[in-house]
Amino acid sequence: MAVAVTTFITYTLLFAALYFEVFLLLSFLLRHGLKRPQIMPARRHSSLPTVAIVVPCYNEERTVARTIESLLNLEYPKEKIEIIVVDDGSKDATYEVASRYEEAGVRILRKENGGKHSALNLALLNTNSEIIGCLDADSSVEPDALMRIAESFENTSVSAVTPGIHVREPRTILEHIQTAEYRLSVFIRNALASVGSIFITPGPFSIFRSSVVRKLGGWRHGHSTEDLELGLRLQERGYTILNNPAATVWTAAPRTLKALFRQRIRWTYGFLRNTADYHFMIGNPRYGNLGLMILPTALLSIFAAIYFAAVLIFSAANSAFEAYIRLVASGWNIALDPLAFSASVYSTSFAIFLVYFAIAIVMGLIAIGSFISLGKHRLPASAFLFILIYSFIVPLWLSAAVVRAALKTGVAWR
Amino acid sequence: MEQGNPNRKIAFGTYGAAFGITALIFATALFASTYFTERRVADIRSVQDNISVDILSLETQFDLLAENSCGDIEENSVLSSELLPIAARLSTLESQSNVNTDELTRLKRYYSLLQIKDLLLMKQVSEKCGLEPIFLLYFYSNAGDCPECEEQGYVLTALNERYPQLRIYSFDYNLDLSALRTLTSISNVKPPLPAIVINGRLETGFKEIDDIEAFIPELAELKQATSTEDESDAN
Repeated sequence: MAVAVTTFITYTLLFAALYFEVFLLLSFLLRHGLKRPQIMPARRHSSLPTVAIVVPCYNEERTVARTIESLLNLEYPKEKIEIIVVDDGSKDATYEVASRYEEAGVRILRKENGGKHSALNLALLNTNSEIIGCLDADSSVEPDALMRIAESFENTSVSAVTPGIHVREPRTILEHIQTAEYRLSVFIRNALASVGSIFITPGPFSIFRSSVVRKLGGWRHGHSTEDLELGLRLQERGYTILNNPAATVWTAAPRTLKALFRQRIRWTYGFLRNTADYHFMIGNPRYGNLGLMILPTALLSIFAAIYFAAVLIFSAANSAFEAYIRLVASGWNIALDPLAFSASVYSTSFAIFLVYFAIAIVMGLIAIGSFISLGKHRLPASAFLFILIYSFIVPLWLSAAVVRAALKTGVAWR
Repeated sequence: MEQGNPNRKIAFGTYGAAFGITALIFATALFASTYFTERRVADIRSVQDNISVDILSLETQFDLLAENSCGDIEENSVLSSELLPIAARLSTLESQSNVNTDELTRLKRYYSLLQIKDLLLMKQVSEKCGLEPIFLLYFYSNAGDCPECEEQGYVLTALNERYPQLRIYSFDYNLDLSALRTLTSISNVKPPLPAIVINGRLETGFKEIDDIEAFIPELAELKQATSTEDESDAN
């Protein structure tokens, strides 16, 4: 009985996982076909909106200069762009480092420490620019990124545009793995845009229409994920969020497992708490595909990952126990049974085939993500490693985040 | 290209198409899995067919014995080289969920029958040629009523590795096979299982390697014979 239930749940979840992959792929292909977005030629400068890019900083003395320089290098009419560094009560030399760029036209605001959302709101109060965006001090942008994004705001119904985010200068294995992961995210974000369902406007270089953000009352704390909260709020009020994968942003990914765990627990925690706050959207067709399909699937995927991990751990423990009994029974005479071994490797079970299919599709999605963002035709070398390693570590932070969200512990940025 | 779609409309068409494609992938995976499992079963069946030829050949050999010397009969003619790998493959198949159980039962019955034939032939050959092999019959159940059977199986596998000349035959007690019924009643085997019959003597309950070695003093000679042989090989 227990076995039958486990089998049923396993196949249902496998079906759901495959279904979601296929749904995203299909939505993407039906909307775009396989193309990398191009910049419109002969752009009329007069029609471009005025832009404020905010760099919220808290103790970023080592990285903020590079971020500011990449913003100064943006290909955009100088009279239409405003760079605002907000020093959110840093205790290090962030203010001094940023001040060096005042001559280049960078505005610097200083305030008591109050969190990223408060820094963004201060900048929003202090600008008249038509569109406003944020670039974290650990990120930098390609020169053409803003031009690609700003074009979309000519359509007055557009309220926000998200970029294509990539790992900056990956060195460690963990960073390379995240490179593959971010390419997958590029695809997912673009596919979500094609069904009007982007619900995260990521910190690095998401750009908003200032009037809309003001009308909504600015940024909120959002359980330490203000970018997710604002995305959901925009969707709730029926605003349109687009994605331009070719607007490239490079962001520093966590280098250590510990830092990665901290970041991902914050993300998942924020997702769970914010969707709890916006629970009325889940399964609600009034919110289109996002309500009916995307949010329920995103929630399900967290529990599915934990479930599969639990099943895997249970069966691994089981076979370890069997191996132990076998060793004891044979008087610690270690003799590998070659037949049993080869049988387990070349298992022909139904579930294994489904997992192969799912992995193949994910590889395809990573490849598409690489192409539409960077125009690359090859999979990142770390793609297989990404699937292998993430299968083991993702359920760990998901479980931790679920527990913390249930206990409402709060999460810190660092 | 428009980078996305200000689109709140529910994409029911895409929902349906994605469902169809996913169902197709499921069907393909099921087909592939069934195909490869079938091939594995077919593989086992062909090995079984080969064994039946070998058994027939052994029978023929035995018939010829009347006219020839016993030196032509090898002690481990069929069992060790052909039957044991089949046992391993059968148990692998048994652990997979999507194997046709009727087919598997058929293969197991056939396999048990071959074991019994091998046992009888070897007994006759031994008598005729004055060999003294040790026969160990192992009766197990995987109907859930024998928690120690799996462990007993490992013990016997280990024992067989230590004494390759020991002839171990294993039988699923619950298998519906008249020849097996006769064998169990002759040997007085009844639950609780596991049960081991060593040269006609019945032992029930789980037995460690040391226990079994204690039952069969001849094992020590077997081992000695093997190691002497090894030494002469080395020389």
